[in-house]
Amino acid sequence: MNRWRRSVGELQARRRPLLECQRAQAAFIKVTACLQLQATCLGSNSDCSRLREELGETRALAHSLCTGLQKRLTTLLTQGELPQEERAEAERLWVLFLSGLEIFQQDLQKVILLQELFPLKQPRDRLSLVNTGGSGDGIGVTGRVTMSQMPWPKTQDQDPCPDLSTQISQLEAMAQEMLRKVNVPFWSVEATQEAWADSVDTEQDDEPVEEMSVENVAAGPQRLGGCCHYPGCRVLCLLN
Amino acid sequence: MTIRNVRDHGQRYRPRMACLKKMEALVVEMQDPKSGVKSQTQRLVITTIPHAITGEDIVAWVANRFNIDAREAQSIGTLMVAFGYVYPLQDHKRLIIKADTSLYRFQTPYFWPAQQWPAEDTDYAIYLAKRNIRKKGVLELHEQEHYNNLHKWMNHKWDFIVMQAKEQYRAGKERKKPDRVVFDCQERAYWVVHRPPPGTISAIDYGLDRLTDPSADEVKKKKTMDYYRRIVIFTQQCIMRSRVKSSVSLGAIVKYITTCKNHDPFLATCLPSNPWLTDDTTYWELNMPNVEIPTKMRVERWTFGFRELLSDPRGRADFRLFLKKEFSGENLAFWETCEDLKWGAAATMKEKAQQIYKTFLAPGAPRWINIDGKTMDITVKGLVHPHRYVLDAAQTHIYMLMKKDSFGRYMKSTVFKETQKKAISPEEHRFSDAQLEQNAKKRKPNLSPIVLRQWEEEEKARLAASGPMDITQLCKFTAPVPHLAVYTGICEAQLSHGRERLPPSPSFPALPNSAACPSPISVAIDSTPASERKFEGQGGSAAAQFPSIAEVPLEPRVSASARAPDDPQPASQKSRVALSLGRFLRRGCGNASVLASLSPKCHSAMGGRVQPLSREPISQPQPKRIANFFQIKVDIPPECRIYPIDSEDEENECTSGVRGTVKEIICPWESITKQDQAG
Repeated sequence: MNRWRRSVGELQARRRPLLECQRAQAAFIKVTACLQLQATCLGSNSDCSRLREELGETRALAHSLCTGLQKRLTTLLTQGELPQEERAEAERLWVLFLSGLEIFQQDLQKVILLQELFPLKQPRDRLSLVNTGGSGDGIGVTGRVTMSQMPWPKTQDQDPCPDLSTQISQLEAMAQEMLRKVNVPFWSVEATQEAWADSVDTEQDDEPVEEMSVENVAAGPQRLGGCCHYPGCRVLCLLN
Repeated sequence: MTIRNVRDHGQRYRPRMACLKKMEALVVEMQDPKSGVKSQTQRLVITTIPHAITGEDIVAWVANRFNIDAREAQSIGTLMVAFGYVYPLQDHKRLIIKADTSLYRFQTPYFWPAQQWPAEDTDYAIYLAKRNIRKKGVLELHEQEHYNNLHKWMNHKWDFIVMQAKEQYRAGKERKKPDRVVFDCQERAYWVVHRPPPGTISAIDYGLDRLTDPSADEVKKKKTMDYYRRIVIFTQQCIMRSRVKSSVSLGAIVKYITTCKNHDPFLATCLPSNPWLTDDTTYWELNMPNVEIPTKMRVERWTFGFRELLSDPRGRADFRLFLKKEFSGENLAFWETCEDLKWGAAATMKEKAQQIYKTFLAPGAPRWINIDGKTMDITVKGLVHPHRYVLDAAQTHIYMLMKKDSFGRYMKSTVFKETQKKAISPEEHRFSDAQLEQNAKKRKPNLSPIVLRQWEEEEKARLAASGPMDITQLCKFTAPVPHLAVYTGICEAQLSHGRERLPPSPSFPALPNSAACPSPISVAIDSTPASERKFEGQGGSAAAQFPSIAEVPLEPRVSASARAPDDPQPASQKSRVALSLGRFLRRGCGNASVLASLSPKCHSAMGGRVQPLSREPISQPQPKRIANFFQIKVDIPPECRIYPIDSEDEENECTSGVRGTVKEIICPWESITKQDQAG
């Protein structure tokens, strides 16, 4: 198609689905990260019904992001002719989305198991919660969750969020369907980020845990960067 | 994304880990505010965190709960830490419980080990990326390696991993400080358990994956006719199996236990100390495969049985030394090469098998081993289409030979007694707790297997080089005269030394170089043929001893008796034998000495291969002696070749132009064109 014929608007219109997908993917990653944090508190002494509700909300958001993203990506890749870079980008998103889906599914499986193991129906159930040192004040990630929004209008084909076990099987079915419909060789996707990514922020107020835990101990020598004292070890470690 | 829908019948399920459920129940019990473990607060610089428990509290609680003693409670505690239900706050890399005031904390259930889901690599990658993002250069060496590997293998989802790591990091920062600290500790502890640093033992290690999912419900089988028929067949087969009386099998177990119980590191103390317990590797160093002086326990093990001796490289080396002194090392060499064939690479198998045949089994081989005719038949037939186990029968035969014969003599030999005397018995270590800690800190990784392998190869090469007496090399006069076709010439000079001089066997490559320790029976029986043969040679066909390099397979040795060996031979040679026997009897002379030379005692004195002095003189008359060296080489029993050094006629020995010995050995499956030629 003759490039010069396209107006800017047209170009933007063409790219919109892809941009939407990118934003959705970023949001999805954010939401799953929050979900994981919330899941780590299940069964611990900071577990409470409020946490579980929040978990449910996060899950619902993830669900809608998920389904929407799946539809859009599938349509993008199966229909519509995309120019080369866009196709590559779409494939990259495809692979990233599938990876995210897997992690999401794993987390959900753990959630369902933990919720079964530590039911909170009765007050005395609280006795069996594991004392992990959490503060019990909630996670504080809810703000983050609500921050991430879906890049497409909300009312569009919104199915209600299914319950946990259904959701897990739905995810599984989704993944299978995606793999069936679109044939993307995932090894063709290359990483755009470098291996040793830079720090996110410059603020270093975060002391790493290593240094913190030396606190109460007759401090042993700090051994960063080597797994043992043996001087020749480095070489051998690399060999192993 | 990972590949799904793998339809092969591979094993990918983790086995049932029943201990996990029990452990979980125990941990939940420990949470009870009244009857559980008392908790304290951990003080850090910036904050305090509750719910820390001391090691001694845990141990005391467990001991109380189960009514067991402190040591067992401590090992249960260590198991809890090793599985990751409890993690140490100080010294987080050592997953043990210390029954003192060191602090621990419970792991959140999200990070508990689960049987259904292994710790995924993707998650590990995200964790490492997160740590790297938070602060550069904080990853340890093995973690860096893993990171690089994961980057390579998960390159397609690397973007996802980095993005997820960043998001998790950001999300984590939203939390309050103490919670963040706790979460970081938890995550770190989780990965120490599931991706242990190299050199540490992991409790999660469960061996192989299973074919069926142990968590899956068993499908109720419909009891059809087919089902019952299979059950019937199964039980019938059970009945048909051979049975052993339990007294017999139990007796065997009891015997084994009584012999070996002091050598079991679980039941008796290791001297000097068990490295797995005390982190002191002296025990391993003292028991290296090629150590100069073995330990007393090790030497004692060798006396348990021949297999123990052979399987220990040091023992095998000692045995090899002994056999070398007895000049019967070819048995062991043959056995070892057979092992090499069995376990070696498939590509070189054919060549190896051929090489083995040429070196050990062929008539006229440099290191001929003495196996009976039937086995030899089977082997040779098998060698037409060689496979990995083609030499199994021969190997077993030789193994039995060594076991029944050489082993006994080795046990009584000076070599062994020397080794026993020199063996050391180290003192037991008695480490204090502080020393144990020191040792743990000083743990080094093992020698790399690459290095060990190189040593092994060098050792093998050294052995091969120093090795084996190739009789052909030993004798000076091994000027092979191949293609010595039929020599009807009669070797004259031979005659004088009829007797012992037996076949300058040694110089004879072909002479069967069987163990210098042939069983008495074979000695007796073989002596006859030997002498005949000798005379065959003497009487002009010194060749008798010359193994004919022809394609004729070796005759059965022993029983074959004097005659048997001849049977397979063409008739012409039969006559020769008869002729020689006649000559022998005529000779009469030296019978006694001949037989004397054939007696076992001489064997040990001489040993088949080395014919040091005797050889010297002979040289000239070679060609004459050749005679019919092409004839069948009957299994020349070792005696043949062994002649006492003190024999006076040494000089004239060797004559037997046996030199004619052909160097080339033709494998029977090769073209049988040169029936009458030497090679």
